[in-house]
Amino acid sequence: MNRSFIARNPSVLWFLLALSVFTVAVTLMSEVTGVGLISTSFVKTLGKTLCLCLIAIAMDVVWGYCGILSLGHFAFFGLGGYAIGMWLMYARTELIVVESLANAPLPPTETEVTDAIATQIFGVVGSSEFPLIWAFSHSLTLQLLMVVLVPGLLALVFGWLAFRSRVTGVYLSILTQAMTLALSLYLFQNDSGLRGNNGLSGLQNIPGLDAVPQSVISIAFFWASALALGLGYVLFAWIVSGKMGSVIRAIRDNESRVRFLGYHVESYKLFVFTLTAIVAAIAGALYYPQAGIINPAEIAPIASIYLAVWVAIGGRGRLYGAVIGAAFVSLLSSWFTGGSAPAVNLGFYTINWTDWWLVLLGLSFVAVTLFFPKGIGGLFDLIVLKPVADRQGDYGPDKGAWRREEGEP
Amino acid sequence: MSTLLEVSGVSVTFDGFRAINNLSISIGQAELRAVIGPNGAGKTTFMDIITGKTKPDEGRVIWGPRSISLLDLSESQIARQGIGRKFQKPTVFEAQTVRENLAMALKNPRGPFDVLFYRKSRATAARIDEIAEEIGLTEDLPRRAGELSHGQKQWLEIGMLLAQDPQLLLVDEPAAGMTPAEREHTTALLVRAAQTRAVVVVEHDMEFVRRLNCKVTVLHEGSVLAEGSLDHVTKNQDVIDVYLGR
Ligand SMILES: Nc1ncnc2c1ncn2[C@@H]1O[C@H](COP(=O)(O)OP(=O)(O)OP(=O)(O)O)[C@@H](O)[C@H]1O
Ligand SMILES: [Mg+2]
Repeated sequence: MNRSFIARNPSVLWFLLALSVFTVAVTLMSEVTGVGLISTSFVKTLGKTLCLCLIAIAMDVVWGYCGILSLGHFAFFGLGGYAIGMWLMYARTELIVVESLANAPLPPTETEVTDAIATQIFGVVGSSEFPLIWAFSHSLTLQLLMVVLVPGLLALVFGWLAFRSRVTGVYLSILTQAMTLALSLYLFQNDSGLRGNNGLSGLQNIPGLDAVPQSVISIAFFWASALALGLGYVLFAWIVSGKMGSVIRAIRDNESRVRFLGYHVESYKLFVFTLTAIVAAIAGALYYPQAGIINPAEIAPIASIYLAVWVAIGGRGRLYGAVIGAAFVSLLSSWFTGGSAPAVNLGFYTINWTDWWLVLLGLSFVAVTLFFPKGIGGLFDLIVLKPVADRQGDYGPDKGAWRREEGEP
Repeated sequence: MSTLLEVSGVSVTFDGFRAINNLSISIGQAELRAVIGPNGAGKTTFMDIITGKTKPDEGRVIWGPRSISLLDLSESQIARQGIGRKFQKPTVFEAQTVRENLAMALKNPRGPFDVLFYRKSRATAARIDEIAEEIGLTEDLPRRAGELSHGQKQWLEIGMLLAQDPQLLLVDEPAAGMTPAEREHTTALLVRAAQTRAVVVVEHDMEFVRRLNCKVTVLHEGSVLAEGSLDHVTKNQDVIDVYLGR
């Protein structure tokens, strides 16, 4: 009865094992050890992929387990990225400004330094003053707090309004998409205070670590991403395995019935929505320093739709499925769109994958939804033997009861 | 006998159709009550009103010793007040095991954080086993509820109702899809439950109602047609006309 958490969820152990082996293997083959089989830029790609896996498990919990098809989680991811990006840009610009002013005949005053930083950062949008939202950007601690607080509060307020009025299904998805679109359009404006469509850049340069080569920094972020993914995986596995998991899956399947059992469904949805938003933001805060640049296009609704596609292809309702889906599809996607995939010559037409990859992805998505609703993760069911009830005949008279052909164990 | 639930002057209209018409019923602290009536009489709608699924256009629904108005509460608040319900069409969580279904229903704090940090205890496990024994699903505890037969799902839902340990049980057609022996078992179970709490049973089967041996309320076109012992109401000419005579 009271078996340990790991014993009840062996997949967690397997996942952590695979993740550790992968992390160590990549490190050994990177340029840090001098082996150099994996280039620094590919280490960054892999590190970014781990962050995408982290947001994918968050998406799986909110969609696959709780049934909320959120098309807004990449907005939280982006907000996390912006929050950390603000500090990275500020601190680095500060170092540059202080250095250049050091040669001046008079030591610069504090206002002079701040103004110089502001001019440096906001010159591109024709401004030389810090907007209010940059108030904390000088402090890493405060800005790290913002990584969690801003997306967390946005999710909390948005979720509270949406769930309270019992918006569900497609309408809820549209609502989350509208939120994402509004946020992205707002950020595109030059006076949004976040440099409009220029976004924040140079994020790969960690302030004060100019002397440290990117090969080392990339491995550090790779490890941080792996750690975050591992912790996130354990956290979510714990949440969805116990009674909480039972209740949220019940909400997905029949939320009104859950209400009649006395559970306040809206609180549960809000809890799941907000928690997954925070995890998405943390994933974003680790992703963008590896990407080096963030701009409002990253927040556009299409990103969140991709996220849903990854999770669907990987297999909803199982965390490792989401990881597989995100890793597989995003790596494949960068291979195809990066021009590495060989073009297919059909004689009368040449398929250039940079143009056709989206079509292929779309078709795979439709195929998976129609023919393999369990996704890639469903393949594991073939390996893990499950006891099959020895039962003859139909299961029950009404439509809800599974018949023999659909009565899988 | 003090009143537990008082429904008075309640009316509900669906798209101009009056499903419940100035209905008044009161249920005592520890009472077994059968509600009968032809199809469409408003029996299920009556339960919908009590459990907060349907808000009435007018009337009052007063609950418990502190006389709380149920009309101001949400479905989950009403359930936490101690009103449990079994639906006409069995609705269990088919993707989850029988044990998980029962554990979810078990009377425990219902807040998200209570549930998140909930730990299984020997006592709750024993309680689940006890209920499973009562509903004859001990062997099926690890099975998915979706695999159960229609009758077994009925039992599971009755089990979930018992697990909630409510003060008022609303039971909509519990015996549908059951064998005669199972019906007898259900009757015994409901009669036993009614010794310590109020039980309202909607049932079409007269034999079943007779065995419950309790006060009967006949609904017709959304209001009470007759009330009293089964023998009393079956002698009522109106009842014979609209229901029994058909
Ligand atoms: N949500 C709704 N919208 C419109 N009409 C409804 C709704 N719910 C119930 N009705 C109507 O109200 C009337 C009473 O329905 P109700 O389900 O309460 O009957 P019942 O007594 O439970 O019947 P049965 O014995 O068949 O279960 C029916 O005519 C039904 O069509
Ligand atoms: Mg009915």
